Amino acid sequence: MMLADAKLDHVSEDGIRRLVDAFYVKVRLDPELAPIFARAIPGDWGPHLTRMYAFWSSVMLTTGRYKGNPVIKHMVIPGIRPPLFERWLALFDEACRELFDDGISALFRARAARIAESLQFAVFHRPDRRWPPRATG
Amino acid sequence: MTFVVTDNCIKCKYMDCVEVCPVDCFYEGDNMLVINPDECIDCGVCEPECPAEAIFPDTQPGLEDWVRLNGQYAAVWPNITIKRQEPADAKAFDGVPGKLEQYFSAKPGEGD
Repeated sequence: MMLADAKLDHVSEDGIRRLVDAFYVKVRLDPELAPIFARAIPGDWGPHLTRMYAFWSSVMLTTGRYKGNPVIKHMVIPGIRPPLFERWLALFDEACRELFDDGISALFRARAARIAESLQFAVFHRPDRRWPPRATG
Repeated sequence: MTFVVTDNCIKCKYMDCVEVCPVDCFYEGDNMLVINPDECIDCGVCEPECPAEAIFPDTQPGLEDWVRLNGQYAAVWPNITIKRQEPADAKAFDGVPGKLEQYFSAKPGEGD
């Protein structure tokens, strides 16, 4: 019998689905992120979740299942600003640590942080301003 | 903030990277591939897939020229997302030093 608090020690498609589902429950309850996501995904969340399963499968299991352009998607989100990325990462890390052991959580965290940095660079960087930006709160 | 393709891709062009890239940011020259730095999301999936170990994060020092070359040619070469057979002599060129000066071709590849 599996202990109730046993953490997953490897990445699988099933683990990714559980992670993504748990993460977006947190997002939809978060006062900062929920309104941003509600505007971006006004209807059925099914397609978004399916896309995120594919994305993390591509990133963590190199399956090539996701094909898309997340830079463009993030550029057009109304109200997007750097602290939201921090909040996103904190919730994602929380969801990882609830499901996976420390080693696997660290792998997810490292990948997520790099991708978030790269998306922020694409969305917020202007050639005439310094990078990284000073904290604006 | 991006990964870059470097010297050892030239004349090896294994193309394993294009299959795993989630954002389709590889562009094909006559004898090498480059990454579009504006499209790469820094996920790092391609790095260990490269049989020639030619892909590095741009945070590694000394890659400034390669970052520029990747950006410059990604703008003019065709996108590639489907792997084809590598050149017949790919293995023979794997690890040959200084390929940029001797073999680099600015001509575009076939693309998908």
